[in-house]
Amino acid sequence: MFPWSKKKKSASIAKDRLTIAIMSDRRNETYPFMDDMKAEIIEVVRKYIAVKDIEITKEREGDIEALSIDVQLEV
Amino acid sequence: MGIVIAVISGKGGVGKTTATANLGLGIAMNGEKVVVVDFDIGQRNLDMILGLENRVVYDMVQVMDGEVNIKQALIKSKVNPDLSFLAASQTKDKTVLDSNKIKELLDNLKKDFDYVILDAPAGIEGGYEHTIEFADAAIIVVNPEVSSIRDADRAIGILDSKSQKVKDGEEVVKYLIINRIVAEMVQKGEMLNSEDILEILNIKLLGKIPEDRGVIDASNQGKPVILKDKSIAGEAYKRIAMRICGKNVKMEDIERVDVSFMNKFKGIFK
Repeated sequence: MFPWSKKKKSASIAKDRLTIAIMSDRRNETYPFMDDMKAEIIEVVRKYIAVKDIEITKEREGDIEALSIDVQLEV
Repeated sequence: MGIVIAVISGKGGVGKTTATANLGLGIAMNGEKVVVVDFDIGQRNLDMILGLENRVVYDMVQVMDGEVNIKQALIKSKVNPDLSFLAASQTKDKTVLDSNKIKELLDNLKKDFDYVILDAPAGIEGGYEHTIEFADAAIIVVNPEVSSIRDADRAIGILDSKSQKVKDGEEVVKYLIINRIVAEMVQKGEMLNSEDILEILNIKLLGKIPEDRGVIDASNQGKPVILKDKSIAGEAYKRIAMRICGKNVKMEDIERVDVSFMNKFKGIFK
């Protein structure tokens, strides 16, 4: 078999694609308690100021993992 | 005390209900007392695969709500007296499920049966979480196909975070069944092989089921394929059932069918 006649088999393409997709899925996965936490944060903030909505996202850059909480205020 | 095993998948249509029916029968064939419970509330399918749809009178939601006695709702299989079945409700939806009631139902079943097998609803919504909540073990069913594998990973993730066993600091045992393998395609590199799937999902293998047209023929008749003689899928289910019952059965390599030999063989008739 000549090297240039070697076509990549679809199973190995599937493996590569899956590995990347699953890695990214696992990173983005939210915590199971996210909804409860969000409701509680809204309650606390509402004591002081009118809140429209809160958005919590889990972020990761390199080794650092962070939760970013965006509080949208009522206008 | 019996063991509760949830049969789950990320995506629907991978053969989860077929696997539940065949494993239930297969375990009963090993002389153990088994009950299979259809947790797919609102979608009742397991009764059809088992050929018991005409005998369903009461369902598990009625049992959980205390409307009927559990003995009244259990249906005994005609082909094997060690297998019983508890039907899903068709009229109610998944929101009727309540953790305390599920625990009570499962605790009752564990007293009378060696194995309690739960057919989970497809996907990872509410009904799924309830199915895995009190399971001692989970069997994940996938097809050697990208979307089924990706979704299975999410289902496993939820299993690892929501099961009561994990919350108690114990381990929920989990194993993979790869269903609908076409050996010829694996050999040609056109289908993911089992080693790759296990590596991607980071999970242990319970067994491999080859693609078998007999499975549809079997469900047409309401007789699980494990009852058929010489069925390749049926034989695979028998091996898996024996493994679940603690017997040491060699992992038969259904992916390494000698294609070159088959081609030579076909060549004789050309």
